Amino acid sequence: MIQMFHVTKSYPGDPPVLTDVNLTVDKGEFVFLTGPSGAGKTTLLRLVFCDEKPTRGQILVGGRNVARIRAASVPYLRRNIGVVFQDFKLLPHRTVLDNVAFTLDVLGTPRSESRERVLRMLKLVGLQHKAESLPLKLSGGEQQRVVIARALVNDPTILLADEPTGNLDPGLTVEILDLLCEVNVRGTTVVVATHDATLLERYQKRVIRLERGRVVSDTAQSEAVRRTG
Amino acid sequence: MGGVAKAEVFWRSALQGIRHQPFPHVVAVLTLGIALFTLGLGRAGSLAVEHLLRSLGTEVQVTVWLRPGAPQADVDVLSAALRGRGFGVQLVTPRAAVERLTRELGPAADALRGLASEPLPPSLELQVPPAWRDPAALRQLADELQRQAPVTAVDWGEAAVERLGALARALRWGGLFAFAILLCATVVVVSATLQLAIYARREEVEIQKLVGATDRFVRAPFLIEGLLQGMAGAALALVGLAAVLHWVAPPLETLFAFLRVPSPAAALWGLRSTLELLGVGALLGLLGSFLAVSRALRA
Ligand SMILES: Nc1ncnc2c1ncn2[C@@H]1O[C@H](COP(=O)(O)OP(=O)(O)OP(=O)(O)O)[C@@H](O)[C@H]1O
Ligand SMILES: [Mg+2]
Repeated sequence: MIQMFHVTKSYPGDPPVLTDVNLTVDKGEFVFLTGPSGAGKTTLLRLVFCDEKPTRGQILVGGRNVARIRAASVPYLRRNIGVVFQDFKLLPHRTVLDNVAFTLDVLGTPRSESRERVLRMLKLVGLQHKAESLPLKLSGGEQQRVVIARALVNDPTILLADEPTGNLDPGLTVEILDLLCEVNVRGTTVVVATHDATLLERYQKRVIRLERGRVVSDTAQSEAVRRTG
Repeated sequence: MGGVAKAEVFWRSALQGIRHQPFPHVVAVLTLGIALFTLGLGRAGSLAVEHLLRSLGTEVQVTVWLRPGAPQADVDVLSAALRGRGFGVQLVTPRAAVERLTRELGPAADALRGLASEPLPPSLELQVPPAWRDPAALRQLADELQRQAPVTAVDWGEAAVERLGALARALRWGGLFAFAILLCATVVVVSATLQLAIYARREEVEIQKLVGATDRFVRAPFLIEGLLQGMAGAALALVGLAAVLHWVAPPLETLFAFLRVPSPAAALWGLRSTLELLGVGALLGLLGSFLAVSRALRA
């Protein structure tokens, strides 16, 4: 589903943020991306949804080479990728329903159909009773669940989440992660960037570790190594 | 199918944008209103001036001086030819000319007494039909007449006609230039205010792009806002022009009645000018928003 070959990303005047990254995430996988602050986790996710272009190397997303994608094609790629980023907030003047429907508006989904799908999605994240509330009236965990609903309402094949539990207390963190696991069970490929080691412990998923822009460990590979002996 | 749903989204987004951020829109509408009002007034003014110039042009008289004692038959042929081309022709005999001069001079006419019995040559006075009221045509006519046997000279107020023509041209170009500057300034202001509106909604734009909106989709609501601004500005200008028509035009008309300028009502009002003004407004609004959105999306 996501493949990176010798990907390097550098900004002019700075040492590379990512250096020769190779990795493969299969369809339906759940992957944690971890590493210290500044390791390049966010940058790696941005490359996947074409918010940035790699300096060198190739990136395949769903079979398409996004390193060479035309600007006009980027929107269509993004319709297959749900994104949960800390800096992509909810719109304060719009109801929860409208915020989630935003994703469907872009596709030209008629209001009646869109409403139905949004309500179903809100039910999945446990917020159907808050559909008409304004985001600022919700708790942090609830807001984050709305963001996840917005990312998932058009059934993307990939979900990218950057520190989705960043400023939530431990109880809510578990709640959000459980939700992401459920989404993954329903078939969506999920990549979560986090530096919360307790989550890695608790969920026992594949973990890709970045340090100073390089992949320093990948549990999938070490398991493969262990298996092949 | 998606078209209707999208159109609905665009309109909702545009109206919400105006509601949450009314100030820049008000500024844009006022600017557009003032510009379009000026445009409307300017057009009425230029129509009045053109009409004035044209009616002054009617006063242009061509005098064809004839050789004293030229055969009546030749003069008749010449007159008939000119009448055939639409000119009014009046023969002024030497006697008539002297009488007219005497009348015009009044008491000073005594001075004429000692002169020969026919001091002035006979002439034809021509009323110029509209088709001939421009300097080039008149000059050509004068040259042509000059070559005819009974004609000694042709007088057609060359300088006056040319000066009027030049004045009309200068006014027209000056007006166009002023309009162009006015329109550019308006587009710049509208574009600047819409950039404010876009800035206020940058999060919305960012999220739209994140969930896969095309540039066209992001642009549409802002273009609608520009369009609405243009129409609102035009409506404002129409109200202003109606006020002018009602309170300012009548006294002006009485004041300048002697100029026989047509009522500005015709130029200001009417379905056609209303639609034109709305159209120009819509175009300016669209252009302004298009520039703003293009710049904002590139950034
Ligand atoms: N637009 C940019 N221009 C220059 N440098 C950048 C840019 N974006 C990121 N960087 C640099 O790239 C490095 C990695 O940043 P990134 O945000 O990917 O790290 P991260 O692993 O997500 O860190 P954190 O855990 O703190 O979120 C940092 O040193 C950062 O300063
Ligand atoms: Mg980060």
